[in-house]
Amino acid sequence: MNSFDDIEVRIIEIYNQHYLDVYRFLICFTGSQNDAEDLTQEVFIRVLNNLPNFNAGNIKTWIFSIAKHAAIDHYRKKKYSSIFGEGFFKRIVSTEKETLELVEQKELKKLVHTAISKLKPSFRAVVILRGINEFSIKETSEILKCSESKVKVDYHRALKELKKKLDLNTEEVMGNAN
Amino acid sequence: MQTDKELFDLIKNTYPLNPSEDFVSTTSNILKKRARKLNRKSRIKYLSFVTSGLALCTFAFSWFFFYGGKDDVLNNLNTHGEEKSLISVAEQEPLIYIYQSHNLESFFTETQTKDANEAFHETQNITLVGERLSQSLKERGINAIHDKTNITEILNENNFSFSETYSVSREPLNATLENNKSIKMVFDIHRDSRKRKDTTVKLKGIDYSKVVFLVSGSSSNSKENIKFAERLHNRMVEKYPRLSRGVIVTDNQDKQNTYNQDLLDNSVLLEIGGVENTLQEEYRTADILAEIIQDILNES
Repeated sequence: MNSFDDIEVRIIEIYNQHYLDVYRFLICFTGSQNDAEDLTQEVFIRVLNNLPNFNAGNIKTWIFSIAKHAAIDHYRKKKYSSIFGEGFFKRIVSTEKETLELVEQKELKKLVHTAISKLKPSFRAVVILRGINEFSIKETSEILKCSESKVKVDYHRALKELKKKLDLNTEEVMGNAN
Repeated sequence: MQTDKELFDLIKNTYPLNPSEDFVSTTSNILKKRARKLNRKSRIKYLSFVTSGLALCTFAFSWFFFYGGKDDVLNNLNTHGEEKSLISVAEQEPLIYIYQSHNLESFFTETQTKDANEAFHETQNITLVGERLSQSLKERGINAIHDKTNITEILNENNFSFSETYSVSREPLNATLENNKSIKMVFDIHRDSRKRKDTTVKLKGIDYSKVVFLVSGSSSNSKENIKFAERLHNRMVEKYPRLSRGVIVTDNQDKQNTYNQDLLDNSVLLEIGGVENTLQEEYRTADILAEIIQDILNES
C-alpha cells in the first residue's frame, strides 16, 4: 500500500524541485508567460500520470523529454496563428514609462525574441537546453533521443544561425537610424 | 558579435524567468488533487485484486477438503515430484555465493561508447549476468545467494582507490560466509575487455560468450581453488567444446591480489565474455555454467 500513499508526496517533491527549470525552458521556447505556465502544468500532469511506469534512469531528463514534446506539440498547434506576433512585447512597452534607455532595451528584447522564434523547433530546443538549462551534451541527447554528436552539431549550427540573425538585425537598426 | 555567455544572458533578460506565485501554488494544488484521485483508483484496483484472490483461495480450499480434490493434488504432486518449485528452493540452504567486484562493467551494446575503459552502466551491467546465473541455478533446484552490492559506488563515495575493490567486496562475502556455513562455492563474475573474436564462440550456429577461470596464486588455498577451476573447465569443454578459454593462475609475486579466494576453498573468478558481447550471449553462457555447477555438485 505504501506506493499508493507515496505518490502524492512524490509528485509534489518532483514538482517543487523541477518546476522552475521546466518553466524556464518553456518560456524561452514559447516566448509567452501564459503559454509557458499552461504548458508547465500540462507537463507535470503528464509526469504524475506516468510516474507509476517510470522506474529507472534520470528523472530530470525524463521530465524534460516530456516538456520537449509538449513544447513541440504547442508549436505545431500554433504554427499558423500569432505566437510570434509582437503583441507580448507591445503590451509591456505600453504599460511602462518609456525612457530612451527603456525603449532601447525593449527593442533589443524584441530582436532576441524574433531571432529565437525564427529558429526551427529542434534547434530552439537544443539551444535552450544547453544554454539556458545548462544540461550536458549527454543529458541533452537523452532528452532529445538522439546521438551526442547530433546534439553538438545542431547546437553549433543553431548558435551560428542565432548570432547571424542578431548581427543582421542590429545592423539593420543601425542602418535605419542613419 | 558576442560570446555565447553574453548571448544566453541576453536571452535570459528577454523573458520573465519566474512564473507567477499564483500559478505555482495553483498547479501544486491541482497535482495534489489528481494524485489523490489516482491513489483512490489504484486502491480500488488493489482491493478488487485482494478480494478476488481471497475468493479464489476459499474456493480452492473447499474443493481441496470437501470435494476430494486432495487426492488429485497428491497424485499430481507425485507425478511431478522431481520438479522442485522455486519457493521450496529458496527455503533450502544456499550452496553458492555469486558477486561482482567490478559491478558496473557493461557492454558496448548497452552503453553509448566504443571505449572499453568507459563501458560502464548503472543498471545494464555484469550484475545482470550474476543474477541470471543465480536464477538459472534456482531453476535447477540449487539455492544461491546473489550479492548486488554496488561496489563501485562505495569506492567512489569513500574516495577509495580502484585497488581497494576486493577489500570492499570482501565484506559482504565474509559476512555471508559466516552466517551460511552451507555455502560450497564462490563465484566473482566479471567480463573481459578483449576483442569479440577472442571472447565469442559459435556452437551449433549460436553465439556464446567464452569463459575464462581466474585463480589467484597468492592465497593459501590456491591449490584447492586451481583444482576446482580445472574441474569446472574440464567438465565444460567435455560438454561444450571451445566454450572455456581455460584456467589462468595469476601470480604477480608479492603484489598479487587474492581476489578474496582465501576465504573459502572452491572460489574462482569468472570472466564471462567481453565488452563486445551482448547480454543475450552472456545469459546463454550463464545458463550453461549453472548446468556445469549442478554436475559438479552432483559428483561430490
